[in-house]
Amino acid sequence: MRNSSILSAAAVWVATLSLAGAAVAQTPALNPEDAQRARAQQQRQRTQPGNDAPVWRDVRYGEPKVSAVRGRETDVLIQSEGQTWRAARVPMATTGGFVFALALLGILGFYLWRGPIELTEPPTGRRIERFTRAQRIMHWTLAIAFTTLGVTGLIITFGKNVLLPVFGYSVFSVVAMAAKILHNFVGPVFVVLLPIMIVMFLKSNLFKSYDWPWIKRFGGMMDRTGRSEVPSGKANAGQKILFWLMLVAVGITAAITGLILDFPNFDQTRQTMQIANGIHMVAGIGGVILLAFHIYLGTVGMRGAYDAMRHGYVDESWAKQHHRIWYEDVMSGKASHGDRPVKVVEPGRGAA
Amino acid sequence: MMRRILTSLLIASTGAGLLGLAGCGEREQTAHYEDGRYRGKPDTPPYMAAPFGGDVMKYENAMRTRAQNQNEYNRID
Amino acid sequence: MARMKFICDAERCIECNSCVVACKQEHNIPWGVNRRRVVTLNDGVPGERSISAACMHCSDAPCMAVCPVDCFYKTADGVVLHDKDLCIGCGYCFYACPFGAPQFPQDGAFGLRGKMDKCTFCAGGPEPDGSEAEFQKYGRNRLAEGKLPACAEMCSTKALLGGDGDVLADIYRQRAMARGKGSEVWGWATAYGRPEGKPSAPRPQDKPGPKAPANGNGGKS
Repeated sequence: MRNSSILSAAAVWVATLSLAGAAVAQTPALNPEDAQRARAQQQRQRTQPGNDAPVWRDVRYGEPKVSAVRGRETDVLIQSEGQTWRAARVPMATTGGFVFALALLGILGFYLWRGPIELTEPPTGRRIERFTRAQRIMHWTLAIAFTTLGVTGLIITFGKNVLLPVFGYSVFSVVAMAAKILHNFVGPVFVVLLPIMIVMFLKSNLFKSYDWPWIKRFGGMMDRTGRSEVPSGKANAGQKILFWLMLVAVGITAAITGLILDFPNFDQTRQTMQIANGIHMVAGIGGVILLAFHIYLGTVGMRGAYDAMRHGYVDESWAKQHHRIWYEDVMSGKASHGDRPVKVVEPGRGAA
Repeated sequence: MMRRILTSLLIASTGAGLLGLAGCGEREQTAHYEDGRYRGKPDTPPYMAAPFGGDVMKYENAMRTRAQNQNEYNRID
Repeated sequence: MARMKFICDAERCIECNSCVVACKQEHNIPWGVNRRRVVTLNDGVPGERSISAACMHCSDAPCMAVCPVDCFYKTADGVVLHDKDLCIGCGYCFYACPFGAPQFPQDGAFGLRGKMDKCTFCAGGPEPDGSEAEFQKYGRNRLAEGKLPACAEMCSTKALLGGDGDVLADIYRQRAMARGKGSEVWGWATAYGRPEGKPSAPRPQDKPGPKAPANGNGGKS
């Protein structure tokens, strides 16, 4: 008899404990602000039953609440930032597009007015090693990645206005789909290559005292005779600026924001992605503009520049004309490629 | 000769860029639609389906009746 | 012509999540995608309110505006639909939408987005109404069967209403009058507060064909 009453008391006790435990576990952990808003609603209900004004205010805060449905921000009722993002995209894309088109026009105008920068002295036939094989492989790998990203990015951003009316919906959708997939998969490759490229070309792109006169006179590029070129090291000030803008500033910005957008599986919020998208667009348009300048001067804009990156060697007179200080360093043996001297191939002999 | 080819190439590419300039004015950010038609591939309006056979009034009435079914005050009376 | 809208009555929603289940079951929606969801405020304390949220089929729909391939369209009933054949899964509509309606099946590597999926107001997609292809991509087309969205029609407390905005407003007004309070309508200012875009110059693709008369009243005019 006594045993059974002890047992039943214990059973009641255990049941009470577990119920209390369950109740504690069920009680939602309202944060102080949420608790404040809940109290506001409770008070309002007492004075004016059916008046939900505090709740409606709460809805517009856009803060996470509670939802049984799991997923990305399913507990947020209304997010207002999307409208801001949508509105901000218009002026950004419009301005960016115009600046890009003007840059292309500027390049064409410069070419028609100035023509390619020719050699002023006849080539001597003596060839100087400008880029090592590793540097060239690196450059072209990154160049292909960068160009792919630039073109696909332009398709995604401006294709709706430029290509869609031409191609029609079905064809443009295929193009845009290909662009998106290429962009998303080449992006991480670019992110891996970028730091290697920056480290590889960092040394020759540090600013030196002789860069200032070059900047002040724009390297003598405006002189159509080409005879007043300002002496420069292995890279001139313009190339250095390009390096710091295109690879360091644009490249790193686009890489970071791109990673945020490319991997949506880390539960980053929509607002994070909106901001990243805006920055990515500005950086991207800046990148393609710089890319256009770089491609122009590396190919049709300057005689001999393409061969330097294609084969790795430049003619002696080219080096003398465009990179006087570097040329003198090579001749005096001061310039080097890492731990070995710069190769100089005498006329009539094949490249090493 | 080389130079002429390059010039024409450059002009062509800039022409393409200029074409792109035409698209720079981001299109109006408002929805534009016309009667459920799209891309020359019609999304047949619901009133074209079997129960209505193109009778838009019949469809509208069905929708209204159906919507009123959600009004429980109709059932109380 | 009707203008399809949703109303969710916060005074009545009991967070049973039946609308979520009904939607999933009606359209055979895959795991991980939820076209509708219920959000609770002040959960577990007095003053608790729940609201069922999905695509509101906005007048000036942000998703339509930002889509880079222009895959959205609006039916004559004002329902915002999209063409999954065109969608490239960029996620822009997801960034822009105030209601978090666009969903992406993310079963690819690194959360790669598949084709967007969202509430269709049970109106299917561009495929022929009631066809198997339409069901596979967009779910059932209830409007073509003369029915309203499944979530609203089966709501046990009639908190969620779906249908022509004017009819719903009448029902809701009657209800608010009867109980004296609680006339606020969730999300309408955000969804329908901005005017529908005036059609700009029609593009060739938009020209009405023989099947759908442009005057929108079944060619009876």
